[in-house]
Amino acid sequence: MAYYIVLPFFTILLIVLQRTLLDLLFGGRIGVEMSLILVIYAGFHLDMVRGGVLAFLAGFLLDCVSGTIMGLYTFIYVLIFILSYLLSPRIYGERMFFIMGYAFLCVLLEGLFIFAVYWSVYGTDVSQGLLRTYLPQALVAGVLSPALFALFNRLEVHVHAGEAR
Amino acid sequence: MFKKYLAVIIAFILIAVSLIILSQSLRRPGSPGVVKKLVFEVTAPVERTINSGVGSVGGAWRQYLFLVGLEEENRELRKKIAALQGEVNTYREMSLEGSRLKKILALEDSTIYPTIAARVVGNEGSSPFRTIMINKGSTDGVKEGLPVISPEGVVGRVIESSWNYSKILLVTDYNSNIDALVQGSRAQGILQGGGHRLLRLKYVQRTEEVKAGEAVITSGIGGAFPKGLMLGTVVRADKKDPGLFQTIEVVTSVDFSKIEEVLVLQTEKE
Repeated sequence: MAYYIVLPFFTILLIVLQRTLLDLLFGGRIGVEMSLILVIYAGFHLDMVRGGVLAFLAGFLLDCVSGTIMGLYTFIYVLIFILSYLLSPRIYGERMFFIMGYAFLCVLLEGLFIFAVYWSVYGTDVSQGLLRTYLPQALVAGVLSPALFALFNRLEVHVHAGEAR
Repeated sequence: MFKKYLAVIIAFILIAVSLIILSQSLRRPGSPGVVKKLVFEVTAPVERTINSGVGSVGGAWRQYLFLVGLEEENRELRKKIAALQGEVNTYREMSLEGSRLKKILALEDSTIYPTIAARVVGNEGSSPFRTIMINKGSTDGVKEGLPVISPEGVVGRVIESSWNYSKILLVTDYNSNIDALVQGSRAQGILQGGGHRLLRLKYVQRTEEVKAGEAVITSGIGGAFPKGLMLGTVVRADKKDPGLFQTIEVVTSVDFSKIEEVLVLQTEKE
């Protein structure tokens, strides 16, 4: 139960930090999408209910504070969570290079989906802009993902300990 | 039996709900729901606090980096300089803010519409979406669709407003389309955002003579923006591409990375 109480506050804090402090880190040029790495982590470590709720909430909150198309991040996050969840029994998701590569691909997948929505719904080609945004973002996410995985692992242990108490 | 398929059922529900939200928003991009307004109200003050702290933390961080590696005997002197520098920066910041507010006030006087002055409290930064958050909402009279300007020109329009905060879609966003006019040649087109400061003026006929350096203003058609507001300057106009229309690139008059205060024009009649 503690998990579901802590989750909204933690997610809001994470998203606000991601939009402010982490944005400052790279001078507002490259975003660090910690929320997406959290969703990937959830796919490999949490069950469908906990992870699904987390992915949905993270996507929904990001949609609320960021972006112009409501539901875009919600859908992408849920999709990436389910993809990671389905991969988790088949692949050992603790290897550093796998985490890095997978996070890199997921960020690119997100960019690709946004491109597809703009292309199909508005008939606008945003590939150039997205390439400039998402390629460096994917690289940064790939590099930082092992460290963030370790951080989320610690947090998960704390939440479990809290629930056990 | 049920437990066996629980994961599948939940996955299906999550995908279905997120798809419903997405399709509803694409079909009816209108006012935000109460949940969204509440999220806005919770996140905006936190973001504002962090953003305001970021400046001083960033300054301190730069000062620290500046001091690292200097000789021991200069340390005290450097600290004093840093402290004085900080003080000077504060005064300079106050002076700059004063002149910015002066400009905003002058703009407020020059417009025929009632205005709402607001401070920018959140910025998208690295996101592919170009929006900013301001500290005025529906309780101050901000409504969806109202134009937002700065002394340099058009900033964008309000797309969502909660009680105390509003989200502005910048003219640079891919979703932004404004009916525009090239001031010199009077050629008319649609100015579309391009993600960065470079915008595209679409649907201008090849017969029109548009030159680099000409100002681009709002045409007033469409009703969202009053006529004559500065949008940007033509940087390239060529007729090399085949087709009915020419390719025109426009750079915005507003530097969105430096924007701090804006005016919301209350163009809607009561």
